[in-house]
Amino acid sequence: MNIFVRLRKRNFISYISLYIIIFLYSLAILADFISPYPYNKQFRDTPLCPPTKINFFDKNGKFHLRPFVYEYKLVNPSLNKYEIDRNKICPIYFFVKGERRKILGLFPSRRYLFGVKEGKIFLFGTDMHGRDIFSRVLYGARISLSIGIIGVLISFFLGFLIGGISGYFGGKIDNVLMRLVEIFMMFPSFYLMLALRAVFPLNLSSFQVYLLIVIILSLIGWAGLARIIRGMVLSIKEEEYVLSAKALGIPTFRIIFRHIIPNTFSYSITAITLSIPGYILGESTLSLLGLGIQEPYPSWGNMLSVCIGNLRILSNAPWMLIPGFFIFLTIICFNFLGDGLRDVCDPKNW
Amino acid sequence: MKRYILNRLFQFIPLLIGMTFISFLIIQLSPGDYFTQLKMNPEISPETIEKMRKVFGLDKNIVVQYFYWLKNVFTFNLGVSFSYHVPVSYLIKIRLKNTISLSIFSIFLTWIISIPLGIYGAIKNKRWEEKILSFIAYIGISIPSFFLAMLFIFFISKTAILPLGGTTSIFYKGATPFERFIDYLKHLLVPGLILTLSGIGSLYRLMKNNFLEAINSPYIFTAYAKGIPTWKIYFKHALRNAINPMITIFGYELSGILSGAGLVEIITGWPGMGRLVLEGVLSFDLYLVMASLLIGGILLILGNLFADILLALVDPRVRFK
Amino acid sequence: MGKILEIKNVVVGNEEIKILRDISFEVEEREIISIVGESGCGKSITLRTIIKLLPQNLNILSGKIFFEGLEITKLKEKEMQNIRGKKIGMIFQEPSSFLNPLFTIGNQIEEGINEKVEKDKKKERVIKILEEMGLSYNVYYQYPHQLSGGMQQRAMIAMALINNPVLLLADEPTTALDVTTAFGIISLLKNLILIHNLSIIFVTHDISLAKYLSDRIFVMYAGIIVEKGPSIEVYNSPLHPYTQKLINCLPEKYNKGEKIKTIEGEVPSFKNLPLGCPFSPRCEIKNKICEKRIPPEIKIGNRIVRCFKYGNFMES
Repeated sequence: MNIFVRLRKRNFISYISLYIIIFLYSLAILADFISPYPYNKQFRDTPLCPPTKINFFDKNGKFHLRPFVYEYKLVNPSLNKYEIDRNKICPIYFFVKGERRKILGLFPSRRYLFGVKEGKIFLFGTDMHGRDIFSRVLYGARISLSIGIIGVLISFFLGFLIGGISGYFGGKIDNVLMRLVEIFMMFPSFYLMLALRAVFPLNLSSFQVYLLIVIILSLIGWAGLARIIRGMVLSIKEEEYVLSAKALGIPTFRIIFRHIIPNTFSYSITAITLSIPGYILGESTLSLLGLGIQEPYPSWGNMLSVCIGNLRILSNAPWMLIPGFFIFLTIICFNFLGDGLRDVCDPKNW
Repeated sequence: MKRYILNRLFQFIPLLIGMTFISFLIIQLSPGDYFTQLKMNPEISPETIEKMRKVFGLDKNIVVQYFYWLKNVFTFNLGVSFSYHVPVSYLIKIRLKNTISLSIFSIFLTWIISIPLGIYGAIKNKRWEEKILSFIAYIGISIPSFFLAMLFIFFISKTAILPLGGTTSIFYKGATPFERFIDYLKHLLVPGLILTLSGIGSLYRLMKNNFLEAINSPYIFTAYAKGIPTWKIYFKHALRNAINPMITIFGYELSGILSGAGLVEIITGWPGMGRLVLEGVLSFDLYLVMASLLIGGILLILGNLFADILLALVDPRVRFK
Repeated sequence: MGKILEIKNVVVGNEEIKILRDISFEVEEREIISIVGESGCGKSITLRTIIKLLPQNLNILSGKIFFEGLEITKLKEKEMQNIRGKKIGMIFQEPSSFLNPLFTIGNQIEEGINEKVEKDKKKERVIKILEEMGLSYNVYYQYPHQLSGGMQQRAMIAMALINNPVLLLADEPTTALDVTTAFGIISLLKNLILIHNLSIIFVTHDISLAKYLSDRIFVMYAGIIVEKGPSIEVYNSPLHPYTQKLINCLPEKYNKGEKIKTIEGEVPSFKNLPLGCPFSPRCEIKNKICEKRIPPEIKIGNRIVRCFKYGNFMES
């Protein structure tokens, strides 16, 4: 807790970032409840509909306490032109009834956080199948945000294990492991990612793809980490307190767990925070290229994939880029938080 | 020095072999190969496919295949692309040219901009100038290159100030060499600027931190105590010390020439290695992918070696070791 | 002999802390002065104040510094550059980190040369001074990491003396060296006084070394000079309780098997200094007044001490 108090005092931007991250994760967890529509619900009559404006004043300038939206009508399908029907007011209600969904996959509910009874509400507009981008962003957050954490944890486990063994035992083991690390670091990571993905068939189930992406990203990420951990273990090994523990005859594993690992702790927290963006990027890149999470399930990456090489969509429906803003927001928050933590964890700055 | 370089080169050979072998394994372990796709095609008889397999040596076991490939590599034969039916070296030659010109353009621009900015940021440390620069750098570091590319493309689709996709315009045929060069450069500008913008942030931060560390070093105090003017202290004593760690980064960037630009190439439609490898991977074009990884590995070695030599040239502590 | 440096009531610090409080002393021509004290009592800051190279968060708040009759507290940075390295040289505790690792010794000494002379002349001069320091001419072409600690320190001294300054500031130049090497450096410094027209301010925590080397000793405690006087007198009959305790800690004052006394307590941190005499929390003979006011300078013979014990303060 101490750390957070220091974070607030020393580095306010990092502190805010922490809250934004928590907010984003809660959005992902509560996606079933917050999103007004299911991620795969298609409104065929409103493809590429612009974001719905929320109004308080009607066309006569009369103020409404309850915010409302107008209905959007597609007037020219070939030019994708929409017109706002200002005669019909659709008020926004909290806890409206809708289709039956299971919140968190556990609690069945028919009520969502907000919605309209007549007309439709698309806060971020719709994609070309008429699916609500706001809802899809929330569901996509589940994939994009969780992959970061799980991937980092696996990489760290591998990195700690291999780097730790290599650094602690040294000699031949160290030599062999470090050559392996070097070989892995020689691959151009973007191509390695593609090649590893190609090993597996393209038509996997969403869950299988998810696991696969995690494994691929961890396989790419562990090598660099192992090398850093090895260096740290090597330097800590020579520290006086470890030497004295050794001289006292304390068993090896106890030295590792009681003395060496706690000393890498503050470094690890920082490094974990700062490497999460890499995993989020990796997932979005794969999904962007159509190699990751497959339709209809959304991830922030695959929601952007229509924008590649499709100038017409990009220039007529810039709201399709909104998932990119979320990727950016998440990454910048993790970067701020990581740097803030590094600042705060460094005993020199106390 | 010569011995040192040779030594380093020899150290790299087993790594290169290990890396290519692992990639070979990865690709060959995949459940399908190029010919499983051909099998779907009713016009090609199973016998033809078997024949083709024999021609490419794909009926042997993996280790034999690998050494077969390795032997060919040493005779500068990188194999034939399954899907394009031309030698891989021919395919790569054209694409590599585009990728390298793109990378060099953006690396040059990135360094030219971020080194002075980094020095400026370090000198103005903790003042508002530095705070603004560092905040912008944060944005630059955090914005995904593909997203930046999409924003760029959106902007260009609205304004049409620069050409997008490909390397040449349609009028290309009748143009003078100078016009051709300008045209190529114009096409290079969109992917080049995207890569530059996404690279400046981190380089600026590195340079700023290095310079800051340098100007807070004891030897800088000595220089002040000698009565050397401040500008000379910055540009002689501090700059030399701050640049040294950057040389390693430079080598690292050179080795990333091949893959660093891949994603941006694919999104902006720049015909470089990125798209080629993506297609190769998707169609199990074994020799094409192997050759790209091999070139990537060799570039990494050359980049590291280049950085080592450069570092030895400028840092006496490395040189006299 | 004339005064070359005169410091009058200098206070250094910022809004929160005061590192130097009311420092006054003067340095005569060809004089060696030692400033003695425990780590963190403001010795190095005193040297940095003289050449106006303070850490960014510290400033000279009040007081005046005269160097050769010139008030340098008023000088601009540009004018200070003509004094640093030309009139006042400085050497440091760890020559290995205070020499730039990327330039040859020759280059680093040469760049300090003030006058506009040809390259060959400069090189000649550098090699001459290197040889004077007991180094071979090869050192000109060598990089700092190729030299031993003692050689680095000699090169450092050469660098400080290349323009024949009148004052050398030495910030614990022997602390990082082993005893024999340190002795070599000390003898070198003593010889330099004879050859060059040079005064030295020597900062050390070793009071016996100070006695051996210098004409006068200033004892510093928590940013205050508590005692000033000729070396032998200060060493043999210390006046201030702190100096007495400091000398009592020296091993050479004890016989074999005897237990060495230490000074109880710790140096106060600059963030919470005691209101009165900074030494009062550790002082055995303190009085009420010691905790309320900082003692003034009291002249006893040719010595100055800051303690209420002397003078007529104890009774009140």
